[in-house]
Amino acid sequence: MTKTDRFNIALLGNPNSGKSSLFNFMTGLRQDVSNFPGVTVDKKRGSYTLKNGVEAHIIDFPGTYSVYPNSSEEKLVINILADAVNPHQPDLVVYVADITQLERHLLFATQIIDMGYQMVFVLNMTDLVEKEGSSIHLRDLKQYLGVPIICISVRDEKNMEELESAIEVFVEKRYGQSASPLYQFSDIETFVATRVQKHLGIENIYTAKIIAHHYQWLEFLREDHRTYIRDIIARSGFDDLKLQVRETMQRYDSYSEVVKKTVISSKKTLKSRTDQIDGWITHRFIGPLIFFMVMLFVFQSIYSWATYPMDWIETGFATAGAQINHILPDSWWTDLIVNGLMAGLGGVLVFVPQIAVLFFLLSILEESGYMSRVVFMFDSIMQKFGMNGRSMVSLISSGACAIPAIMSTRTISNPKERLITILVSPLVSCSARLPVYAVLIGFAVPDVKIWGILNMQGLAFMGLYVLGILGALGSSLVFKKILKSDSGSFLMIELPDYKPPIWKNVILSVKEKVIAFIAGAGKIIVFISVILWFLASFGPGDSLLNAEINAKKESESSGLSMEEQNNLTASYKIEASYIGRMGKWIEPAIAPLGFDWKIGIALLTSFAAREVFVGTMATIYSIGNDNDEKTIRQKMAAEVRPGTDIKVYNTATSFSLLVFYVFAMQCMSTLAIVKRETNTWKWPIIQFLFMSAMAYLGALVVYQVMA
Amino acid sequence: MPTLASLKPGESAFVTLLDEGSYTCKLLNLGILPKTKVTMVRKSPFGGAFYIKLERHQLAMRTEEAETIYIEQKQ
Repeated sequence: MTKTDRFNIALLGNPNSGKSSLFNFMTGLRQDVSNFPGVTVDKKRGSYTLKNGVEAHIIDFPGTYSVYPNSSEEKLVINILADAVNPHQPDLVVYVADITQLERHLLFATQIIDMGYQMVFVLNMTDLVEKEGSSIHLRDLKQYLGVPIICISVRDEKNMEELESAIEVFVEKRYGQSASPLYQFSDIETFVATRVQKHLGIENIYTAKIIAHHYQWLEFLREDHRTYIRDIIARSGFDDLKLQVRETMQRYDSYSEVVKKTVISSKKTLKSRTDQIDGWITHRFIGPLIFFMVMLFVFQSIYSWATYPMDWIETGFATAGAQINHILPDSWWTDLIVNGLMAGLGGVLVFVPQIAVLFFLLSILEESGYMSRVVFMFDSIMQKFGMNGRSMVSLISSGACAIPAIMSTRTISNPKERLITILVSPLVSCSARLPVYAVLIGFAVPDVKIWGILNMQGLAFMGLYVLGILGALGSSLVFKKILKSDSGSFLMIELPDYKPPIWKNVILSVKEKVIAFIAGAGKIIVFISVILWFLASFGPGDSLLNAEINAKKESESSGLSMEEQNNLTASYKIEASYIGRMGKWIEPAIAPLGFDWKIGIALLTSFAAREVFVGTMATIYSIGNDNDEKTIRQKMAAEVRPGTDIKVYNTATSFSLLVFYVFAMQCMSTLAIVKRETNTWKWPIIQFLFMSAMAYLGALVVYQVMA
Repeated sequence: MPTLASLKPGESAFVTLLDEGSYTCKLLNLGILPKTKVTMVRKSPFGGAFYIKLERHQLAMRTEEAETIYIEQKQ
């Protein structure tokens, strides 16, 4: 190959081998994250320039234990490795193994070598072993694997240039084929593999055997090939599971002596630091307590730290909008820029601080090894609700904002458990519901103390949160029953040794999540914002013009100030707009909930985001843009039903509206991120429908009982 | 034959055999092999899962997963 050719390197290895840290070291900021085609598995790709100018592409593949996969991530890796014409096929595999876990980490390496891949074998964390007083001898291992071996420590960035030159040597002159097969087939395996190899025209016989094991789900197989393999397996008595066990055992046996000769430990390890820490962290009583304290801290941090940058973003956009309004001529496209595009853009960016703070903290917890302890502690509880121990973290994060919470479900490997977590997370009351709750609780609940200490309104707040949590758990039980699972559920996870986080990994993970949100959900959010802007700014025929004339007439006759006149105009205009008409049109449907068309309009506009409810109510009641909750509350409190003196916002309506907002999916950003995370519109639509149904029925029951 | 699930916290044993089923390969991948020394460290706070220590690493598994691992306490 010529020196300017692109060159594909695959980083492979077990989970927790330090593979991703190596990837971050090699590529730095020159990496991007997308999905592998058709699945929501992160594809981390980076570029890397060798000293001799060759540009290499590196893909950091999901951590994999062996060619017999247990998760969709692992299946994806096998789908690529077993498919000779896959575009992600590597020219070179850089295999990363943790030397302290050498025996287990060798398994997959020997399988990749048997598949005929060229490999540089990287032993990570070698300094750790040497610090312990053990010594490393590579001769036997080198002979056994037949590939170059490099000892590094990614954490201390030690010996990295050696890895670099090993890759360079490979690019220059390619190594020869590595050692003879490391696994000896049984007669049945030989029988099946040779036939599959011949019939499908596969170069490598071990790959043919892997295909025979996984013919049912390997995506690249043609239907006639599948049928062929099914027949030959039925004829030969090829027992998938028994042969997997046979192979794994034989491989372990073949290298266990080699491992003993590679790492010679000088002393027995005493009770390690990890054991001591876990004595507390996973303790029966103290463990869950520590967890809730950690989560309280995470929750508080999203809630309070993120508020400042969120305020800056909001004020920044408001000021910029006012400036643009001032500079540009008064026309519909100025309005589109300010109230459509910029509002949408602001609506995207305002979530960035919450996402950044949450993933900063979560990736520290993940990096340090704490997250797998959480899974261990809460597995049995979350299992009852069809979810995973990790779902606990997502659900709690939802209390601040569902968007980062839903993005954090990627680490749940069981698809059904992940999906249920995504579907129910938005039912936990997020911070955007607060302003709505605050306005409405004012009507529904008197501001009195009971027993001298508890404030009734405070209790009502808590009640709404509890209602949201119950809604989430209740619907998860329903989804657990309805949804089908194609992969079995298991816990079986490693509890890796505690380590201080590598800050580079933390920072890169924050950056990746922020970009993923802006790129993945941003377009949808801006698009919906523009549509909502259109519906609120235009009406059929001359209706908006007439509304303006009417407002002017009325304010002249009653002598309103300029500002009051503007507010009245805005109020009449939104009533006459398309969205105003829609609000009136749905009135019969929402009347049983105790809502009038004004609330109807606010329900529609607050689809953009719940907090918009307050602003829309302000416009409808021609209060103007000061968005003062108290003024709005006074106006709303004075509102009566036309022709009567019955208050619109009586206790029943207010409670009904509160319950509606607890359950309703009034957040286009969440729907956009669910679309991104599930890779289809199916789930966000289902989510929207079931949450709206819950909201409608809940509000209906509350109103009909209370009214 | 006793299984890993029958060990009390603090007890150790050696794996003799795996009950072949859908968990087997995953267990092998995680280093649970015949002759491996396993220690039951503790139960999970709300039950249903175990904290298991092997020579150089730690695992968590559910009761029904531990029940597929046959053990003997002396070797």
